[in-house]
Amino acid sequence: MWKDEKISRPSPLIPQHLINSMINKIIKYLSSLRFTIVLICLLGLMFVIGLWVPQQSLLKTIYFEWQKKSPELVAYLDLFGLTTIYTSPITITLWLLFFLNLSLVLWQRVPVVKSRIVISEAKILDPATAGGYSFRSSYPLPEHLDDETVLNLLRKNRYTVLGDASGFYGVKNRLAPVAFMLFHLSFFLVLLGGLISVYTEFIGYIELAQGELFQGEIERYNNKPRPKLPATGTIPNVSFTIRSIEPQVVRNTVTGIRVKLDDADGKEHEVGINTPYNTDNSSFVFKHLGVAPLFVLKDSSGNEVQGAFFKLDVVKGRPDSFKLGGFLFTTFFYTDYEFKDGKHTSKSMEFNNPVFVMAVERDGKKLAETTIPKNGSMEFAGYRLEMREMPFWVRFYVVKQRGLSILYAGFLLATIGVIWRLLFYRREIVGAIREQNGVLCLVVAGRSEYYKSLAEDEFTKMFNEMVCKVDER
Amino acid sequence: MAYWETIFYLVSMVIYALAGGGFIYSFVFRNPRVVSKVTLFVALGFIAQTLAIAARFNATGHLPWSGHYEYALMGGWFIVAGTLFVGWQNKQLQGLAAGTIPLVLIMLGYGYMQNPSLTPMAASLKTIWLYIHVYFAWLSFGAYSLAMAAGVLFLLKKKSEAKEVPNPAYDRFPSLGRLDELVFRYVVFGFITDTIMISAGAIWAKDLWGSYWAWDPVETWSLISWLIYGITIHLRVTFGWRENRLAWLAIAALSSVIICFFGVNLVVNTSLHVFQVR
Repeated sequence: MWKDEKISRPSPLIPQHLINSMINKIIKYLSSLRFTIVLICLLGLMFVIGLWVPQQSLLKTIYFEWQKKSPELVAYLDLFGLTTIYTSPITITLWLLFFLNLSLVLWQRVPVVKSRIVISEAKILDPATAGGYSFRSSYPLPEHLDDETVLNLLRKNRYTVLGDASGFYGVKNRLAPVAFMLFHLSFFLVLLGGLISVYTEFIGYIELAQGELFQGEIERYNNKPRPKLPATGTIPNVSFTIRSIEPQVVRNTVTGIRVKLDDADGKEHEVGINTPYNTDNSSFVFKHLGVAPLFVLKDSSGNEVQGAFFKLDVVKGRPDSFKLGGFLFTTFFYTDYEFKDGKHTSKSMEFNNPVFVMAVERDGKKLAETTIPKNGSMEFAGYRLEMREMPFWVRFYVVKQRGLSILYAGFLLATIGVIWRLLFYRREIVGAIREQNGVLCLVVAGRSEYYKSLAEDEFTKMFNEMVCKVDER
Repeated sequence: MAYWETIFYLVSMVIYALAGGGFIYSFVFRNPRVVSKVTLFVALGFIAQTLAIAARFNATGHLPWSGHYEYALMGGWFIVAGTLFVGWQNKQLQGLAAGTIPLVLIMLGYGYMQNPSLTPMAASLKTIWLYIHVYFAWLSFGAYSLAMAAGVLFLLKKKSEAKEVPNPAYDRFPSLGRLDELVFRYVVFGFITDTIMISAGAIWAKDLWGSYWAWDPVETWSLISWLIYGITIHLRVTFGWRENRLAWLAIAALSSVIICFFGVNLVVNTSLHVFQVR
């Protein structure tokens, strides 16, 4: 190649300035409020769809039934993630775009907020001609008025005042624009707390009866549904014994439950509805109550064949069964038993007269059916089934999450931000004390965020009161 | 329902129905003087409703916090209290009752058709968070209802003022500019209390259900409703939506709140919330 020969580049298909302009337009749109509103509407639409389309995680039974009836439709909706809508790729993309948009909006607003909270002499304008001020008025003042009187009264009305009687600028709630940043920053805290909680989340169910010790063994959690192990972090590290379980029922309303447990240090804790046992970033939330009777089977000579505690899920009228000594026992449970109109029934949910209605069978052949009250017994085919105790068992929903304090800080910040921004909005006034037609007057102009007519009422009231106070002096 | 509760409940419904009729009479027959007298009627209905709540409290030992009936009773009370309060502060705003009283009447009628039986307080409701959560829910519902009422008045007044001979019944109400700003002010108040309600609800849910957010239908609708009012505020502040557009928004947005409180359980029966199911 000769030294003076120029290398000719192929001309680009799209000129650079057009690419730059396109990128700028995209950034401008991504950071626009119009885009925020589009995203919020789309997210709202996804949430509404989620209410009508049965969700796999929330409505498992309904979902599976529906899947059997309409396999093609469900497969189609599954494909687009509409049956797991809150974690579907579409929703996550919308959330990502939302937070991208929010970041860009906040970034753009930083200099605006800075400039708005700064007060300088430049803001002192002639109230008669100042632009952007919707409220204008003048009030006669007494002669020989001390220059500072009016300004001090403004300060008493929580205005930050700059200047003197010849020209002043006052602003109330000067830092209100900061609240805008706080409110929107709270979204990031909620997002951060939410993400940490999702990735450190352990969920499991465990059923524990009175007197049972639990030391956090993973294999003791229920298999159905299987425990959800955390993507990062550990499962709950706990150790406690259930000391007592005491349900409280009035007629058919559960008015409370008191589960007492002792931790490894012997310290007593009480679990109830709304009061879970919290330890190691974990909560043991009461979910369900059952009875765990001790049944002992005896043969015809009175010798014990077998005996065990059985955790029966029968409290809400569901049947349950257990096997003992080669027999299958199917049972219904009535909390407040009565035999009425030829039927077994319960007068209420109160544990006034707990009774099991028990059917026993072997090899598919029914041998007997009878009622067993608390600490009662039944006899069949030369055997005797005795109930020795009837303690309760409870099912705990166990959840371990980290990041909740960040999430709650987000809620707090959002609440503070929204109250500060929307209730303590800015009012600005410019004014001067000058002579008009030979009379000393307070000439003012005022404006407010959000409101015009209502702000005019507020300014009128404030200045009238101020002038009255000046007159009184 | 307790004996006196039934009586006062029905009395309040009758009085509100008469008051609603009075407002219609005032507008149709162009008689603005009736408004202040009808407002007195509303106050009487409010007293009767308060007595109904007191009678129920006396019978159950707790304030009516849960279930559609109790929600209608207590939620309606908050809306009427808000209406009377703003009317007492500013006589020009007494006419807001023309929008809120029919809404309360429908709520009370609907509530009466639900299960009004006396029940002890469920264990899940025995927490301080209930008071915070439900109190702010009612405040937001009341404020959004007032925003709707101010929107309705704005539209009616504007239509009347466009005519050659405006209806004098509207003279008693604030100017169009003030009504427009009141719509926004009530939306703002509702949005603040709504934010507190959702935050308190999430914290309560963590203790009660083990999860601060479970995409429960009522939770989801409350979020949708919060987003709708958030958009309304942004449209007003940033895009300058005012007057007709804002008024229609305030009226339409209230439907999301009504769905949240009364409608979700009609179409979806899987809510953990105890509006209908204990």
